[in-house]
Amino acid sequence: MSNMAEQLEPVARLQGLTKKIGSKTLVSDLTLDIPTGQIFGFLGPNGAGKTTTIRMMVGLISISRGDIRICGYSIKDHFEEAVANVGAIVENPEMYKFLTGYQNLRQYARMVSGVTKQRIDEVVALVGLGQRIHDKVKTYSLGMRQRLGVAQALLHRPKLLILDEPTNGLDPQGIRELRDYLRRLCREEGTTVFVSSHLLSEMELMCDSVAIIQNGRLVDVKQLKQVGDAVIADEETLFEVDNAEAALALLGLGALKNGGLAVEATREEIAELNARLVAGGIKVYSIHALSRSLEDQFLEMTGGEGIG
Amino acid sequence: MGEFAGLVHNENIKIYSRVRTWIMLFILAVMSALMPALVYFTSDSVSSLMGLWESFQMAVSIAFFLNTIFTVVVASDSVAGEFSWGTIKLLLIRPWSRSKILLSKYISVILFSLLSLVVLVAFGLGSSYLFSSSAAGLLPETNGWSPAQYAFMDLLCRYVELFLTTALAFMVSSVFRASGLAIGLSMFIMFAKSIFIMIFNPDRFEWARYLLFTHMDLRGYLVSNAGPGDSTLGFSIAVLAIYYVLFLAVTWYVFSKRDVAA
Repeated sequence: MSNMAEQLEPVARLQGLTKKIGSKTLVSDLTLDIPTGQIFGFLGPNGAGKTTTIRMMVGLISISRGDIRICGYSIKDHFEEAVANVGAIVENPEMYKFLTGYQNLRQYARMVSGVTKQRIDEVVALVGLGQRIHDKVKTYSLGMRQRLGVAQALLHRPKLLILDEPTNGLDPQGIRELRDYLRRLCREEGTTVFVSSHLLSEMELMCDSVAIIQNGRLVDVKQLKQVGDAVIADEETLFEVDNAEAALALLGLGALKNGGLAVEATREEIAELNARLVAGGIKVYSIHALSRSLEDQFLEMTGGEGIG
Repeated sequence: MGEFAGLVHNENIKIYSRVRTWIMLFILAVMSALMPALVYFTSDSVSSLMGLWESFQMAVSIAFFLNTIFTVVVASDSVAGEFSWGTIKLLLIRPWSRSKILLSKYISVILFSLLSLVVLVAFGLGSSYLFSSSAAGLLPETNGWSPAQYAFMDLLCRYVELFLTTALAFMVSSVFRASGLAIGLSMFIMFAKSIFIMIFNPDRFEWARYLLFTHMDLRGYLVSNAGPGDSTLGFSIAVLAIYYVLFLAVTWYVFSKRDVAA
């Protein structure tokens, strides 16, 4: 992310957000800023409170405690102003099946000002629905309905696009395309994308940062570094040696792991450490990078607990 | 923000893009036109032929049931349909308050009821005109109304009944999000109303004067100044108005406060 984006006000701020239904607390004291201009992931196991949080963000359900501000407007007190900045798909994009895709988009275009015919065509082209837009929605496949769902969310050029499990039911090619146009949207129109998922691998490929939620509580917020195509959260190097304890004593850093010595070090330091180990009479069989994937971290943080 | 008229336009599109709506209007037109024709072709002598307004009133008395039923169907689906299709989630996240969205739905339902009324009158009157006999004796004046005036006052009273039944269906559909229940309950009240009036006779039970059923049919006032349980027309209208406001208040409250998690 550029420095400029980091200086901007967060597009959405969740402040002590709590949702209770009866005695059950679905979301508990969730405080989170969604930085402008990012693709921000919202990760958690099923039942963690992702959809509940999203429903509160778009005003579909009431907030028990706390507040959500979108572009400075409280969703509680200034719903219309706040939600005007939001485009969303909550769960599956359900459309009027007896209308064509185009007629569906016209429905939503009429509900905001400034969506021209040209804008509708532009959005249809972006999601790649082509001529099928003039067919009835009941003839659409799930993938096409997803595209139409994204199209309706983008019509009014929202500052914040909220997608709830958008890759559900998409084939690998569909997922790839979705990822590509979310990236393009983020880059070209400066739209902030807030996307929830329970699939880690997907988040790794798509997001700049992720917030991890479990049992209705925020567990952690992580920046993801993009290294080529793979995402490496923290890098460690593992020295496979004949006597790991002696190596640890010699170097005075790192930790014992997998029968070897794991250290955090730069490329130059690795060569240096290797030289010291060899000079100290320790046999080094191999040196390789131990990248802890987001998945490891996720499981570590959520402790592999069941749905509570 | 867009225009409120756009919201009503949206609701109209949802009603008239469905084949069902046109089938209902077609059946209504056919039934309205059929009755006068049937009577005309089944009468064996000139003396049993009906005059224009007599024929029209008979057509209305049968076809108006359909008018009420079809309007109730449209009203019941207006809110409940959005929930069962799942489209409510996309509808409520627009920069419009829920009250305005509900109002646009209600207006579109009332517009449909007026359209179906126009269809009924146009086809019923047209058919009555073609299949009546000027030879038949003119209807006498009723309580100072000419036959034409009486026919239209009768229609107005029936519309008041439809209006309240529709409000009830709209409420049930918004509160329970089930169009089947809303249609069923409205139909039940439509047909069981007269039985209720018989059992809870307002002449015998003072409290029955405050029931909705007692006052839904205002046609009695066309021929008499005293209504059920010696009520006046003003009293009947006041009772109906209170129920109407109550129905709409419940509808608005529930729809605005509801957590949409389906």
